[in-house]
Amino acid sequence: MSTLPPPGEGFGAPAAVAPSTPPPPPPGAPPTLQPPQNSVIDTRNQRLDDGVNRCPKCGATEIQLRPSVGMLVCLFCRHEWAEARLDASVATSDIAGLTGTIVGSGAGDIAADAGSVVTLKCGGCSAEVVVNTAEAMGARCHWCRHVLTVNEQVPNGAVPDAVLPFTITHQVAVTKIAEFAAKRRLFAERGFVREFKPENVVGVYMPYMIVDANASADIAGHGEVQTRRYTRGTGDNKTTVYDADVYAVQRHIDFTADDLTLEASAERSQINASINTNNVINTILPFDTENAVKWNASYLTGFTSERRDKGVAHTTPELESQLLSIARAQVAASVSAYDRGVRWEQERLQVHGTRWLAMYLPVWLYSYHFKKEGKSMVHYIAVNGRTGEVMGSVPTSTGRLVGAAVTVGTVVEGIMIAILGAMK
Amino acid sequence: MSAAILAAGNAQALLLIAGPAAGGGLYFGLWSFYRNASKSHSFETETRVEAQPVTGTENKVDEVRGTTSSGISGNNVSNHRQRVQRVS
Repeated sequence: MSTLPPPGEGFGAPAAVAPSTPPPPPPGAPPTLQPPQNSVIDTRNQRLDDGVNRCPKCGATEIQLRPSVGMLVCLFCRHEWAEARLDASVATSDIAGLTGTIVGSGAGDIAADAGSVVTLKCGGCSAEVVVNTAEAMGARCHWCRHVLTVNEQVPNGAVPDAVLPFTITHQVAVTKIAEFAAKRRLFAERGFVREFKPENVVGVYMPYMIVDANASADIAGHGEVQTRRYTRGTGDNKTTVYDADVYAVQRHIDFTADDLTLEASAERSQINASINTNNVINTILPFDTENAVKWNASYLTGFTSERRDKGVAHTTPELESQLLSIARAQVAASVSAYDRGVRWEQERLQVHGTRWLAMYLPVWLYSYHFKKEGKSMVHYIAVNGRTGEVMGSVPTSTGRLVGAAVTVGTVVEGIMIAILGAMK
Repeated sequence: MSAAILAAGNAQALLLIAGPAAGGGLYFGLWSFYRNASKSHSFETETRVEAQPVTGTENKVDEVRGTTSSGISGNNVSNHRQRVQRVS
């Protein structure tokens, strides 16, 4: 087996011999700044509090997103504005210089004792209003009718570092879902066809961890190069055989990944096509996360949201797996000379630095609960709320599929029997 | 003579299983088109990645002679998501 050398030992051209001790700093040089280790980026929106948040122009609290322009709009005076982009206040560049683990203040660990219920004090009448953040990020005061929103980061994962507003409207989403389903009508389960109502699509903000990573990977295995191809035997007993040279192959790559998007909901991250259709929601990634804005719960008015329940530690295994997959994809071109293929056998990942931000990303979601003969599955058709990419799962009618398969199989078999008859 | 009969028999068998194969292929193809169960985000190609030039080594360690296999066993060069032994 080809084995990897110890970490830090390079491949390829021999590296220059490093001095045993680093040279002393020049006289008068400033002390070297240590890179941040396990630091926190403050992403709080200081302008907003829990409770009443008013239109900056008229002071009304009737604020919601206008998806066609991706802006907040005051329903009273029609003033439109947007929160500042997150990357305007948080440095998200220089990924190659990342060291340690940097976490946004909205992406911290979920406190075990943190409940979903938040009590807001109404700034209009001082009444106390309860909001269940597992279901909504705002409520209307039942006394004075002001709209109250949750904007302060609480350790229950409900308020992320940033939000990416919807720009695909409900009407566009309905059209895309109807087009998607129309192409899959003939063999769809009849109950799905009867009950299909694309206007029931729901806008959902899904929780994700957006990760920048600075990493290195080493991969080792064996590759084969064909040296000869020839036939053995005669007549109808000819067999093609091959000769090949076998090489022990090792590769090293240093790379950065910008805005890897990882599911931060434990339920959504369970992707298993035999029991759920969560892969559909995963497929509509990626999003233009660089355009995410600072948190303002008013972006969620009229939409639903799913609370984040995974932290950095829970998401790290998936991050490492994705980084290794990226490394393998990056080195693939360098082994194209092995025309009989490469069998990778060992891999090593060194993560030098990561930056984690929690984000709500917009998804239009149509769901259909399929139940038949004891089997149950929720089928989703999802539309990316920014790019409009559509993916979905439509339950099939087994009877229709079998009928089509038997018909085609019978026709093909008939043709083959006719050919055999003509050959005799 | 017997080899020729055997070959003719194989050809007939191949023609006869074409019908069930076509039916099965259609079933699986339609099911896949409706369910999209194998689809997922192609993060390997859809993520912004900046990589330094790949370095590495290769040493000839063996030769294979007269194999009937057209490729290396366990070829996973294109299956980037198949995890192999992780070393630290």
